[in-house]
Order: sequence, then C-alpha cells, then structure tokens
Amino acid sequence: MLAGVAVTLPRWPIVGRRPELEVFERALGSGELAGLVIHGRAGVGKTRLADECRQQAAAAGHPTERVAGSRTTALVPLGAVAALLAGGLGRPGPDGQAGTVALFEQTRRGLHERHDGRRLVTVADDVSLLDAASLALVGYLAGQGTIFLVATVRTGEPVPDLVTSLWRDGRLERVDLEDLSRAHLDTLLHLALGGPLEAGAGREFWEVTRGNPLYVRELVLGGLESGALAERSGVWHLEGRLPSTTRLLDLVGQRIGQLPAEARSVVELLALCQPLDLGYLEATAPCGVLESLERAGLVTIAVADQEVRLAHPLHGQVVRAAMPRSRARAILLAQADRLQASAPVPGPAALRVAMWRLDAGGRPDPAVLIRGAHLARYAHDFRVVRRLIEAVPGDQLDAAGALLLGEALYELGVFDAADRILARGQQLPSSEHVALRLAVTRAKNAQWGLCQPEAALAINAAARAVITSAPLAEELVADEASVLTFSGHPGRALAVLDRLAGGDRRTRVVRAIAAAPALAVTGRTAEAVTVAEAGYADHVALGDELAIAHPAMHLINQVFALSEAGRLAEAEQLARAGTEVAASSRVPIAQIFFAVNLGRVATLQGRMATARRYYAEAVGVAQASHFAGPRRVALSGLALADAMLGDADAAAQALAERATGPAFGFRGPEQQLADAWTAVASQRPAEAAQQLRDAAAQAASTGHRTAESWLLHDLMRTSGQDTSARLRDLAGACDSPLVSARARHGAAARARDARELAGAAADFEALGALLLAAEAAAGAAEAFRRDGDQRAATAAAHRSTALAAACEGTVTPGLFHAAAPVPLTGREREIVMLAAAGMASKDIAERLYLSVRTVNNHLQHAYTKLGVSGRGGLAQALGSPP
Amino acid sequence: MTPEQITLVQSSFERLGPQLPGMATRFYQELFSRDPAVRPLFTTPLAQQEVKFADKLTEIVRAMPRLDELLTHTRALGARHAGYGVRAAHYQTLGDALLAALAAALGDDFDAPTREAWALAYNLVAETMLEGAATARLAGS
Repeated sequence: MLAGVAVTLPRWPIVGRRPELEVFERALGSGELAGLVIHGRAGVGKTRLADECRQQAAAAGHPTERVAGSRTTALVPLGAVAALLAGGLGRPGPDGQAGTVALFEQTRRGLHERHDGRRLVTVADDVSLLDAASLALVGYLAGQGTIFLVATVRTGEPVPDLVTSLWRDGRLERVDLEDLSRAHLDTLLHLALGGPLEAGAGREFWEVTRGNPLYVRELVLGGLESGALAERSGVWHLEGRLPSTTRLLDLVGQRIGQLPAEARSVVELLALCQPLDLGYLEATAPCGVLESLERAGLVTIAVADQEVRLAHPLHGQVVRAAMPRSRARAILLAQADRLQASAPVPGPAALRVAMWRLDAGGRPDPAVLIRGAHLARYAHDFRVVRRLIEAVPGDQLDAAGALLLGEALYELGVFDAADRILARGQQLPSSEHVALRLAVTRAKNAQWGLCQPEAALAINAAARAVITSAPLAEELVADEASVLTFSGHPGRALAVLDRLAGGDRRTRVVRAIAAAPALAVTGRTAEAVTVAEAGYADHVALGDELAIAHPAMHLINQVFALSEAGRLAEAEQLARAGTEVAASSRVPIAQIFFAVNLGRVATLQGRMATARRYYAEAVGVAQASHFAGPRRVALSGLALADAMLGDADAAAQALAERATGPAFGFRGPEQQLADAWTAVASQRPAEAAQQLRDAAAQAASTGHRTAESWLLHDLMRTSGQDTSARLRDLAGACDSPLVSARARHGAAARARDARELAGAAADFEALGALLLAAEAAAGAAEAFRRDGDQRAATAAAHRSTALAAACEGTVTPGLFHAAAPVPLTGREREIVMLAAAGMASKDIAERLYLSVRTVNNHLQHAYTKLGVSGRGGLAQALGSPP
Repeated sequence: MTPEQITLVQSSFERLGPQLPGMATRFYQELFSRDPAVRPLFTTPLAQQEVKFADKLTEIVRAMPRLDELLTHTRALGARHAGYGVRAAHYQTLGDALLAALAAALGDDFDAPTREAWALAYNLVAETMLEGAATARLAGS
C-alpha cells in the first residue's frame, strides 16, 4: 500500500547514460545543431534521459519547455505544443484563412522576445505521437534555431518527417539507447537502494529485467511498497522472488491497481488531461496524496512551471486502457467546464477544451472547432479537419466551414459526401472569395473524384454566371480550362485560355496547371516545360492556400512535358525528386501521378519491368485513396507493361479491373495503347490494329498530337502498316525530337531504307528510347541483308540485340527481325510467332482463318529459312529465351 | 554490489600493503600505454600524482560500505576531474588500467571473483564521479 512506503527515495538515479548526456551537452553548445533525438525501446529510459537533458540545460541557464505527444492529444491540432503558443492561435484573414506562416512566425518572435534570444531547450517526448500541426511548428522553430529540440522516438513508432528531414540535413544528433549492462544494473540498484544488495537478489533482478531500466524501477518501487525488498543491518534483501513471468505493462497495471481511491483519481485525471496545474491539484486532492504519488515515482512535479504529469507514458497508457468509458467521459466534461470557466477564448486552452468535450461525446463551442479545423488544415491533417467540422451542429456551419469539410472529404476520397457539403455551402451566404473556392473545389471533386467532367463544367459555368469581379472571374476561366485539359480536351482548353488576358498570381497558377499538359500533348513541348516551371515558382510564392492543387502538380506537368519533349532522363530525375515531396506532404494524387509518369518514362525507354513496378505502385496508392480516374490511368499503364512483357493473362486481368471503374478522359487516347498491346500479346493482331487506328483518330480529333504519333508508330510496329505520311505531318506540327524520330522510322520502314533505319535507331538511342532503337536497328539489319550488305546487316543485328538486352525481357514483334538470318514474309512471321508462343497448328489456322495445311507449309518454309528443324528451335532462333 | 564483494575489494586492497606505490606507478603506465593522448591532461609531476592517486584510492576503498560517505568523496573527485577535461569516454580506459595494475600487483590473488568485485566497485565510483563532474560543469558554465 502506498501509505506503507517506508523509505523516501532519493531522485531515481541515472546510470550508464553519461556518454549520451555529453553528446547532448556538445550538441547544445555547438550552436549549429537543431536538436538531439533519442531512439530506443519502451522503458529503456528515453523520457528519463530527455528530462535529464532538460535539467542540465536549465542548470546551465537555458530556458526549457516540455511538450509531449500522447494517443489522446494526437488528434488535437497544436494540442501538444500549447505551451509554446503564448500568442494564441492567430487570426483568420478576410478569406477565412489564417496563414500558417504568420502563426509560426508570430510564435517564433514571441519566444525570441520572451527568452531574450536564448534558445529554448524543448523536450518533445514521444514525438511520433505529436499531432501534425504541432510537428510542423516544432520543426519550424527548430529549423530557425528558436528552440533546441530533444525528441524521443520509441522503437517501432514511425519517425516523423520533421525528424528525418532535420537528420538528413545533418542538423540532429542521434543516440540509440540500449538496456543497461550487468555492471550498470548493479550500480543502479546500489544507488537507488542506498546500499549493497544480497547476491541472490542482484542475480534475480538481472534475470528478470535484463537491464531494462523502467522494469527495474517498477520492480524496485513495487518491492519497496509491498515490503518484498527490505533492509536488514545495512544490506538489502529480497523476500521471495520477483514476478518473473509478468510483462512490463502488467507490472505497471498491478502497481497502479493497488493505489488507494483518492490517489487513483489523481492518476486517472492526469492520464486524460495532463499536464495539470499544481495549484489546482493541491486544492482538490486530499492532503498528502500528491506527495505520496511523487514519492512512489508515479507523478513528476515540475517546479519551474508548476505542472504535474505522470512520470512515464506507459503509466498513462495502462490507466486509460483500464478506465471505463463512462468514467473517462465524466472526467473530461468536468475538466472542460473548469478550464472553460478560467481560460480566455480562443487560446490554445480553448482547443483543448473542445477536444475534451468531443472525446466525451459532448458539445464543444463551434467557433473553436472551426478554428481548430483551420489549424489542422495547415498540416494537411484532413482526418482531424473532418472530425472537428463534423462535430459542428448543422445549423451553425457557415460557408467557410463547409468549404473546409468539403475539401477534407475530397482529400479523404469520400466524393459523394464532399459534393453534398460543398453544394450546401454554395447555398449559404458567403464572401465572393469563399463562393469561388466552393465552386472550384466542387468542380475538382466532380472531375477527379466522381469522374464527371460534364458536371464539373456545369459547376464552373454556374459560378461564372454569378462571380464577375475581375481576378475571381479570371480564375474561373482558368479553372474551366483545367477541367477541359484533364478530361481529354487539350485543344478546347487552349482555346479557352486564349480568352484569358491577365489575372493575379493565383489565376496564373491555375492557368499554368491547365496549360502545361495541354501544350505538351498538342506538341508544344518546350513551351509546356517553361509554363510548368513558371507555374511552380508562382505557386510556391503563393503559399499553401485552400481550393487549389498542390504545388507538386506543376512538377508533374513538367515531368510529363519533358517526356513528351523526348528529354527522358531529365523527366525521370525530376519525377524521382518529386515523389519524395509528395510522399512527405501526404498528397496521394501527386504520389499517383509521379508514379504514373515514372512508369510512362520507363515505357518510353523500353524498360518494361521497371515500368510495371511504377504502375503497380500507382495503382496501389490510387486504390487506397479512392481516386478512380487516376486509378484507370495507372491500370492502363500496368496492362501495357504486362502485355509488352509478354504476359497476356496479367494484362487482360488489369484491363478487367480497369473496366470496373468509370471512364476518365485525361490522356484518353493513350490509355488505349493498353488494349491494343494486350491484343498483340494475346495473338489477336487484327483487333490490335483496329484499336490503334480508332485511338489515333480520336487523338486527332481532340488535339492529342504526341499521343497520335505514339499510336500510329505502334500501329506500324505491330502490324507493319504504313503510317509514315501522318507521322511526318505530326513531326512538323510538334517540336519534339521523339515525334520526329518516330516519323523518320516510319518513312525509312516504308522505303526499306537501311541507312535511314539505322539513323532512326541512332535517334531513338540518343533519346534513351532503347526498345524503339532496338526495333529500328533490327529493321536496318533486315534491310541491309536484303541489299546484300551482309557486314552492315550483322553489325545492325548485333546493335539491336545489345539494345534489346537493356529492355528487361520485353517482347515485341519488331524485335523478331533482328535474330532472323533470312527475312520472313509477313505471313510467315505471324505464324512463326504464334508457333513460338506454343500454339498448335490447328489453333493458328483457326485464329488466322487458314487451313492447317497452309499453316504447316508456311512453317516449313520458315524452318528452312531460319535453319531450324522444328518448333523446338523457333524461340531461340527468334532471339527470345527458349 | 553484495556485502561480500565490498569485503573482497577491501581485503584485497589491504593485501597490497607496501606494494601500493608500485601499483600506482603501474596504473599510470597502463593508462598512458592505452591512451597516450591523456598524458598532457596531467600537469603535476608524475611521482606526486601517484601519491595523490594512492591516497584517494585508500579513502574510497575505506568508504565503500557507507554509500553517503563514498558519494561525498567520488562526487567531489569527479567535479575536480571535469575541470581537467576528463570525459565519460576516458573512464572506460581508466577502469581497464586500474584492473590491469591490480592484476599485476596481486598476481594469483587477483582471481575471478576479486576481479568482478573490483569491476563493479569501479563502475559505481565512475558513475558517481561522472555525476559530480556534470554538476560541476553546469554550475561553472
């Protein structure tokens, strides 16, 4: 029992951590480092070491502060760092937003002044459990040198981006804590008990705890309370054995379970609402309870800021898990009432109150909820935004609140609900700013989420009818173009943009998002790259605003434009860099499109296994985030990659999955490459040719010039059909060397011009399009052979084989030329390919509407030309693995 | 430490008797051979230093059974060493040098149990010296 604690413990000693403390001391003294991060398993002593760092810093004259994440505060925006926000939560501007930058900067200046420019040593315990907004603020302050961060990370918890990015920049020291050695455990026990311990007890402690300091501490304190650890003539003895089968959590639970009722109440209160004011607890808890809890090592009292908290995160975890829901609810509501009566609104305390009420199922102040939602929005924490706004009673939700909720629902992939709430917001009175953003967000949701571009255009048109003041009306025009671009009408999009004269920065940003892909697909690739670059710069200067795409969209556009310009290596490099940004700022749509574009670049390079990997990744993210349209684009890429790798079944399966979702017009003609190549892989050449012709016609009618060139070139590659005239026209209309190389290849193939075919191969190779280079070289080999130039033929064939080797197992009809020593006729090649794929003569005959005898005749001719005796040698003779 | 280990440290130390100065000399030889970089940290003549070391060690070994008294000695000693620029990393080497010097002086008497008792005693002393050192550095900075 608590009352039976016989000894007053000195401060629990810290043993075996001096090297780590010296690391802290040096890091703090260096002036260049932004902090220290302490990694380790639960109970290894991270919290203790962090607090010791804080004490050392305080003793050396540094101001110090402590913030702590917990599973209860993880959902309160800025909940963990209330102590840093002396200046309140900032004020929203006229458009209903309060800038993060302003709030962070205000906090920084406040701290700077409060502490005369000295760095505030800030312990962030369990930093992984801080809410996203708190993490962003702490990261900002550490980066600016306003605070020196001492963070702890429990092994197995995710390491926040803030920590990894500071670490990558070399601005963090890191220590990894291990359990204590046998000798250190001995010293710890000696110091904690104040004297020697009999031999058996020391061994028992080592065997049970294996040097885990928290375990040791709980066992020592528990043993002292129960009397199992007792001192006789200066030596400590253990009566009986330690509970060796108990896990650490059970042990903590047992110790807390033995507390008398009034002490338990205090512990429960702290588990839900810590830290709490010392004065308040002293006034409410019976005399002596706090002291005994502190003596028992269950709570710590910070003298400097008069705050009381539980000594270890595990204590709170155990208590919360064991508490009945009704009891937690009663405590939260009572504390909310108390704090509301004493705290000025709307400070950080008000947000705490709101979240307590929300946790308890009560009714928080709507104004505070909306303010909290804005804060969570800064950190892109859309789950919290949704939770907070959905708690606002329907009749009290204003248009700005509806906008926040609608955007959050869109980002979370709940598109129907997003449309409903945004439509409702449009019915509420609002400023023109908010009205514009409601319309733009609703159109974006209709297009990307619901895959209904016509609805998006209608929403845009309705808004244009009522919003007429200059910069806002212009933004709507740019947005109309954006809907057109991303629903597969680049030509119309560019025509709309021609109507747009000026516009403010925001309008320029939206315009760039719409214009860059439209320019790229219509063949103005250089302009597209420039527009995307400028758009990104404008967007970054604009900051993080509501109802606008993420800045990464410009990078995606630039990647696309670069690949259309044939600058494949640059495109790949930029996309890789962008992927990291998108992942760390949690923008799934950007993650999907970076992966899709990486897959697309790999496809153009002919690295189909790589392409397949990227497309599969894009499909995964799209699936998880419910973006059906982008998922369709990704699945098209996946099917294309599978088909070109010769896996017809997998390709067909991807197409079947694609058919379960809605249509999506963006890069529509290009999506049909997947159908055509799947037909090729399934030995249905006629069907493939028809699909390519149809898709090319569709591309021509909507202005997709680069896609049309791709489709027509593939038609030639897979069927031998002459498309050279149109390819040449497209090369003239586009500024892309990739489109030009395709035209050169087409013309050379038509003329069977060996030198030109070799030239086209060189063009493709220079662009990094290795598969196309291999095919053109194979064609050159065949043409040289026909011309009787055996030496040049052999060289070109070797070139082709070498290039094809870099194509990761890709199988295309065009590659079969290379290995064939004697040219096969078109029909022979068709039949040989089917036979090499393992098809019986009877099936080939059925497929091609020929007699079995004709098929066998063709095969015999081909065997003779190839110098093989039968089907067994075909695959090898054709250059594919047997 | 167990009471038996404390006794073992004290009895083996008594057994050194007149060999104590020689053990002190050996201790510094062992130390400098392990880490020549620490040599410049010692400014007093080595002979004088050896006498001081032997005296301090005697005090500490005597205080071993009474923790409060031991801590008074070790914390103050740690605080002084902090001023000389001694850091946590040096304590490992110091411990190794001490055990090697004792082994040389005691020969067969320095058996495994004696060695373990000394190792634990040294760990206790080192940890509390480091604690004193940290406190002193903070007070002085």
